[in-house]
Formats: sequence, structure tokens, C-alpha cells
Amino acid sequence: MQKGSFYHLYIVMKKDLTEFYRVRARLVSMIMLPILLMLLFGYMFPSSGSITHIPIAIVNQDQSAVAIQVINSFTYMAQSGNAFNVITYTSLAQAQQALLQGKIYAIVIFRPGFDEGLKSGAASVQVIVDQMNPTLDQIVTSGIQSIFSQLNVQLSVSQGFPAQAGTISVNMQGLIPGSPSSFEFLAPGFIAMSMVMGGLAGLAMTFSRERELGTLDGMLMTPISRFSIVMGKAMAQAVRGIISGIMIVILAIILFGVKIYGNIFLMSLIIFLGILSFTGLGLIATSFVSDQESAQMIMLMIEMPMIFISGIFYPVLQLPVWLRDIAYMLPLSYTVSAFRSVMVMNAPLSAVWPEVLVLIVYSLVTFAIAIPLFQKMVTK
Amino acid sequence: MDNVSFKVKAGDIFGLVGPNGAGKSTLLRMLCTVLMPTSGKGFVEGHDIVREAKEVRKSIGVVQEKLILYSPLTPIENLEFFGNLYSMDSKMLKEKILQLLEEVKLTAVKDRPVGTFSTGMRQRLNIARALLHDPRVVILDEPTNGLDPQSVRWIRDFIVNLRERGLTVILTTHDMYEIDELADTVAIMDRGQILEMGSKDELKAKHGVDKIEDVFLSLTGRELRDELSGRLRGRGW
Repeated sequence: MQKGSFYHLYIVMKKDLTEFYRVRARLVSMIMLPILLMLLFGYMFPSSGSITHIPIAIVNQDQSAVAIQVINSFTYMAQSGNAFNVITYTSLAQAQQALLQGKIYAIVIFRPGFDEGLKSGAASVQVIVDQMNPTLDQIVTSGIQSIFSQLNVQLSVSQGFPAQAGTISVNMQGLIPGSPSSFEFLAPGFIAMSMVMGGLAGLAMTFSRERELGTLDGMLMTPISRFSIVMGKAMAQAVRGIISGIMIVILAIILFGVKIYGNIFLMSLIIFLGILSFTGLGLIATSFVSDQESAQMIMLMIEMPMIFISGIFYPVLQLPVWLRDIAYMLPLSYTVSAFRSVMVMNAPLSAVWPEVLVLIVYSLVTFAIAIPLFQKMVTK
Repeated sequence: MDNVSFKVKAGDIFGLVGPNGAGKSTLLRMLCTVLMPTSGKGFVEGHDIVREAKEVRKSIGVVQEKLILYSPLTPIENLEFFGNLYSMDSKMLKEKILQLLEEVKLTAVKDRPVGTFSTGMRQRLNIARALLHDPRVVILDEPTNGLDPQSVRWIRDFIVNLRERGLTVILTTHDMYEIDELADTVAIMDRGQILEMGSKDELKAKHGVDKIEDVFLSLTGRELRDELSGRLRGRGW
């Protein structure tokens, strides 16, 4: 019987699978990736009431006995269902700084004259909400409004005010003026994501490709240091990442009306540090494999979970505590957080310095590990 | 490597031969300072391969079987890149590049991407790359492997030309005819050891044969070798 196309198809497929099976790194990545993604998605999507202890701030500028009483009731109600964790700030500036740094998600401000306003039926509180993540924004807004509705009922009964007079109106305000689109919140994450693709995968691929081709040997045989090779390649990835980041920003501005509120130089610095930390991480991961396909698989295994748990699409707060801890170990979480704060909320360096510091330390540490590993890899 | 000890006379063509897995490439990678020896000493042009690795790298030019070239770049861009890694003066580098391209007969295609070149053209450019920084020692690891007869002839003539210029050449090849034609001194390696070393005539006379190939076979045997590469052996395959 003549062997036809399907037989040859089978032969090619079998060869490819055998080859794949022989390289352990590829095999392990293939098994681990779907398991990791399955676990992540399972834990990331919230079941009812899974977002708890959202940190919000109270700033009391009135200091009247009534205001203190209302605040106590608000705090009790906010914390009793574990929905919020209420933190009291003495100054509005401090609270705003915390909001920019992502330490809290809303500020409830009791302005001077709250007491008088309550008596005359025109009491209001101002609430500034972090609109960075639409999901959290909605939960925080409706949660605070619901607490004040309950408070209004309590006030009308227990304080002896007429129902109308005892009503507190809630004046909601976002950090960003106007009604920003959801994409405005997602764009910084997308930009950071493109940097991951460029930095993490690009560097790993370029090293394994040069190693396979023999050109890496060519560089190693010249009098330049290993440090120059690693850092030169890392910088090339940083430039690529910045270019792709700029392209996405331009597209986001032209096509989706995204506005940049922050300092371009600070944004570039965050991108640059982000890429450096990714490339260091990529280099460590791929120093254990020798061929391009294995490097690609390993990168995919790091990239995919990192993209989903680093706050690009879903708030880190939404994750279970153990997953949140992992997210805080990844450079992408800090890059996304700082980049979003600067780009969307015009946060200054003083507001994002913790993230910037983490990225600097991350880059230094990963490269300090990666360069000796690289040395070991090339002399195998 | 097992107790390997040898000297190469300056200005000689030193033929290093051995069956697959004999340790030739490992030895050459050590001389190129890419691999670190676990013990022993090695010197290239008087420089210690461990302590003075940078000086060693400046003294050697290496042509491997794998081409050390970037396909999307032109010959000029490739040579500029490597020349800059040797911190060459830019004016001198430009002149040197044009001179070498002329020598390897690639001036006409100096602005075309290397990816469009035939294997022979690439190997000629690869040789030009190895000579950019005026090394005193040139290591040629199977330089004629897989090339057409014209390219092989050109490369062999070029190797003789290198000797005439006073350069020291270390040549590894599986082509015993090539060794017979080119090498002044021959070392035959097997299983990490140098079995015998001497001039071609000495070795032939000692074994009573006319060809280096017969010396080689009498020392390393005629049975087929099934040597596994170090990496796979390490994994228990």
C-alpha cells in the first residue's frame, strides 16, 4: 500500500513530539503553564464578597462632637462587614499622598461646618475615589454610598433631627477630572505588558539564538567583559520596550482619547527600570536552558501568570492573600502601579518612590544573580 | 582534557586532529578563554589563559565551523561591530575593513546583507572577521567543512598565506589531506589526550606510512566511534 499524506503527516508530528518530549524544560513548561493559568483564573475571579478590607481614609476637618459620632458610626459600619479597613488621617495632604501611592482607595472628608450643615439639613461629605481600577472604583463608591444611606436612617432616629434635616449627602469625586474611560485605566497596564513581552522574552530569545548560531561565542572571544555583553543586550531590549511603549501610548491617545496627566520623563524612567528588572529576571530563567524553544516556553510560563496577577486587568487587592504576596514579589506589579499613578493621576516622584526604589533594587539584584549565571551558562 | 601538554612554534601551521569527541573543540575553547580549565596552565603569546584572558583574546582570531556573523547585517556592519569590540580606532577600522574585504574578494557585495551570501562567501567573511584586529595566532576550527571545492581551495591557499605573513595557525579538521598539505606540525588527540605530536615526516616515518591519514588510523583505530556529546552524557543518555 502506498503511504499517503496522512502517514507522512503522522511521521512529522511524531518526530516533533518526540523532540519536544526529549527536552525536559519544554515538557515541564507545557505541563505547568495550563495548571498555573487554571489556578490563577480560579482564584482571581471574585466570588461574592471576596473583596474585603479595602483600605479607605477618613479626614475629619470639622472636629465637632457630632462629626466624631458620625465618623465612629461610619467606621463601625464600614468595618463590621469586613468590607473596608478605615484609617484616620489628620491631614488631607497625607491622605491624598496615600491615595496616589495606592495605599488607600478612597478618602472620606468631613469638611469644617459639617455639624452646622447637619443641623440645617445641608450636611455633605466629600469622597475622593481612586478610579484606577473600574471594578474597585464601583465597589468602593457603592459601598460608601450604602453606608451613608444606612447612617442617614440611624441619624434621623437616634439624633432627634427631623429626617430631612439629618440627611448627609455624599459628594463623590474622582482623582481624575471628568469621566475617564475604562481604557484610560487599562492603557498603562497594556504598556507595561508590552514591556514584559519585549524585555523578558526578547532578551532570553536573543541570548539563546546567539548561542545556537555561535555568534555569542564570537563576542565572548573578544576582549570585552561579560557585563558589557549582558548589559548591552539588556539596554537594547530597554530601547525596544520604550519604543513599543511609546507606540501604544500614541495609539491610545489617537484611537481611544486616553490622556496623559503625568510627567513624561518620570514615565520613561519607570518604563526603563521596569524593563531592566524584567530582563534580569528573564536572563536568570533562561540561563538554565540552551535552545530557543525552551527559552520561549520558560518565558511564557513566567509572563502569563505575571500579566494576570500584577494588577493590569484586576486589582491586586482582589487576589487571595497568598497570590497577592506573589504579585508583590514581581516587578510588573510595581511597574504597573507606578506607571499608572504617574500617567493617569499625575503622581510626582515623591508619591511613587517606593515602587521606583523596588524596581532599582530588583534590577540590581537580578543582574547581580544573572551575570554569574550567564558566565556559567556560556562556559557549559 | 587529560594531561595535555604541547607547544606551538610561532609562525607554524599546527594541525590538531582527532576523532569526534577527542576533545579538540574543548581544548580550543580553553585556548580562546571561553572555557576555564579546572587545573593546569595555558599560555597564548606569553599570556596566561586564565589570569590574562583579555590579552589572550586580543592575540587570537578565531574561525569556527559555526559562522560568527549576523545575517541581517552587511559585511561592513558585521566587521564594524566586531572591530569596535576590540576598541579599534574608527579610521583604522574602516581602512582595515576595506582592505580585508578586498583580500577575501567581497568588496562587490560589501553593502548586501550577509543572509543573502553563499556558505563559501560567509566563510570568507568569517575569516576576515577573525583577522580584523591583527591577531598573532589564528585558530581555525574545521574552516573548510561543507564548502564547495573552489572555496576549499581558496581557504587552503589563504591559510598558507597566513603562515607567510608570520602568523601562527592552529588548524583542526577531519580532512587528513588538508593536514598533509598544510600542517607543519601535527598533534593527534583522542579521549582528551595527545597521543602523538611531531612534524608530518617524523610521524609518517615512525609509523612507516606515506599519509597522515594512516598515522591517524593506526593511532586511533579503524572501528566506528559512537561518542556521545558531553551534555547528553551528563543527562544519563
